[in-house]
Amino acid sequence: MHDLIGFDDEPFEAMMWELIQSKPFQRLRRVKQLAFSEFVYPGATHTRFAHSIGVFHTARELMKIVQRDLESQERWDPTRSRVSLAAALLHDIGHGPFSHAFETVCEELELDGIKHEETSARIIRETEVGDILVRAQDTEFRANVASLIAADGPTDVYSSVVSSQFDADRLDYMRRDKMMTGSQHGEIDYTWLLQNLKIKKVKSSVDDVEAGEIETFVLDKKAYYAAETYVLSLFQLYPTIYFHKATRCMEAIFTQLLIRVGQLYRNSETEKSGLPRNHPIIRFFEDPKSLEAFLCLDDSVFWGAMPQLCEASDKAVQELATRLVHRKLWKTYDLRLSVEQKLRNGDEAAIDRVIQRSNEKISEWSEEFSDDIPRAVMSTAKRNPYKITPASASPLNKIFIENGSGLIELREVSPIVKAAKTFRLDRIYHNAEDSDVAIAISKAVDAAIKEEKNAT
Amino acid sequence: MQLKGTKDLRKAAVQIVSDAGGEVVGRTRIQKMAYLLELGGVGSGFKFSYKHYGPFSQRLADSLQIAVLFDSVKEEKRSTDWGANYSIYQANANGDVEGAREAIIRLAKSANPVELELAATAAFLATEGYEDAWDETARRKPEKSDKLAGARLLYAELRKIKAMEPWPEIA
Repeated sequence: MHDLIGFDDEPFEAMMWELIQSKPFQRLRRVKQLAFSEFVYPGATHTRFAHSIGVFHTARELMKIVQRDLESQERWDPTRSRVSLAAALLHDIGHGPFSHAFETVCEELELDGIKHEETSARIIRETEVGDILVRAQDTEFRANVASLIAADGPTDVYSSVVSSQFDADRLDYMRRDKMMTGSQHGEIDYTWLLQNLKIKKVKSSVDDVEAGEIETFVLDKKAYYAAETYVLSLFQLYPTIYFHKATRCMEAIFTQLLIRVGQLYRNSETEKSGLPRNHPIIRFFEDPKSLEAFLCLDDSVFWGAMPQLCEASDKAVQELATRLVHRKLWKTYDLRLSVEQKLRNGDEAAIDRVIQRSNEKISEWSEEFSDDIPRAVMSTAKRNPYKITPASASPLNKIFIENGSGLIELREVSPIVKAAKTFRLDRIYHNAEDSDVAIAISKAVDAAIKEEKNAT
Repeated sequence: MQLKGTKDLRKAAVQIVSDAGGEVVGRTRIQKMAYLLELGGVGSGFKFSYKHYGPFSQRLADSLQIAVLFDSVKEEKRSTDWGANYSIYQANANGDVEGAREAIIRLAKSANPVELELAATAAFLATEGYEDAWDETARRKPEKSDKLAGARLLYAELRKIKAMEPWPEIA
């Protein structure tokens, strides 16, 4: 995607090269960027390894903009730029196998501290990765790289390269995911966007209180249409790629499979999973806080366990593993579409209430009538075209256009971006041969609609 | 209390607003308020991880949204004249809350939200094993460092509340 990514013969880039050779970083060759998307888009086999190097390369390009701007004001800080570039390279080093699906498993099993940002920070502090940073720079440098990755948003213009509306992560994965899936959505004018990036101060806030100003990236008005395309393109990747129903179904099956293996381990019935006690997956469940156990996990370890899982004495493990290996998906019931069709004149809130009530009824039914595999597996997600954090809609989370007389938020000047609604999905996955589920869903939806009508 | 289904979660989310006299200003404030209740052992069982503005519970955020959807809580969205959007949550007030829960809520309700965010973040990082949690908080949020002194004082006030669980020591 980036043609050649070179590393100069100077100490900082030599350090970056050494980081890439480290075991934790090499492990990313075995963690796919898009987990199960290759089961829909066969070309989507790119790895977090390639993405991470791409992010570093993109970060270097963004940092040139920062350097140009700040050097002219005699405010350029090379050390802070190096922290940010190192963080760009290492930002995904703590991803588990199948990335976000793995985090869902850990959440369901109540295994704390498995968020990839915190794990990345731990890897930096506690493994050879940190040793490389200390040798080449110092302990303060290592601490700052770890903290930048674990931070919850930009704190200055250097960190905006790693985390902002125009950060290197987003600029790489948008283009990479589009290219590797072959999707025709998500095209952005990358060169023109970078050409028109500027650095300006934006107010930050916590709720209704100002929390200072931070320098971050904004766009010159010449790139207004490129900004529009950028927001909408990013948005379109979600329904078409990341939230594809087959991809989400594979994730759901994987999640249920690992949850089941975890439960068997907790019940001292590991042998029923088909895995030996010293298997990396079992070792992880034994000690989820162990970085050593975590770093033994990657996509290949999971796929390599398939022959054993497919022959497990536990029927649930056997069935789920077999489904994954042979891509035997569950049936998808589009709950949102069904409710929207039944409530033809319903407003958004009414539709959401019916969906919520339906989900609760179906969950209760499934809990009562399921054995070891839930008979109905819910899948919900949403994506705002404009990703505002749910905590506070701070000015820092918005895209600003500089029009000569000041900064104006993109939504205020773009009717298209302003009009774009949140994409929501509410699906239920179930065994196609389980006709009882279909009946239960239908009854639940009808009951939920009745309750809504009675309530209004 | 072990939270189970979405209805329990929703009730617990509404309860926080009710126990706060029926009104909480700010999504960050309610998140940190809920976190400190959990930390003090007088919460409802929401789990937190480091995400938005420090410790954050997605389930709490979702439960509040659902509570708003079903009118158990009202959410008024406002904007400041300098571009920030924030929410005010309102529900029926509960006058019966007392003890540590009441004290924690009262403190969190009146605190400066930036200081509250910093104090909650430092407490969270301390429970995650950071030896110098204030230092790590300062590293992650340098743009808010002028409020750290206030956050330390806030945390000192919090530690005076006799809660069900000991407050983490923060160096």
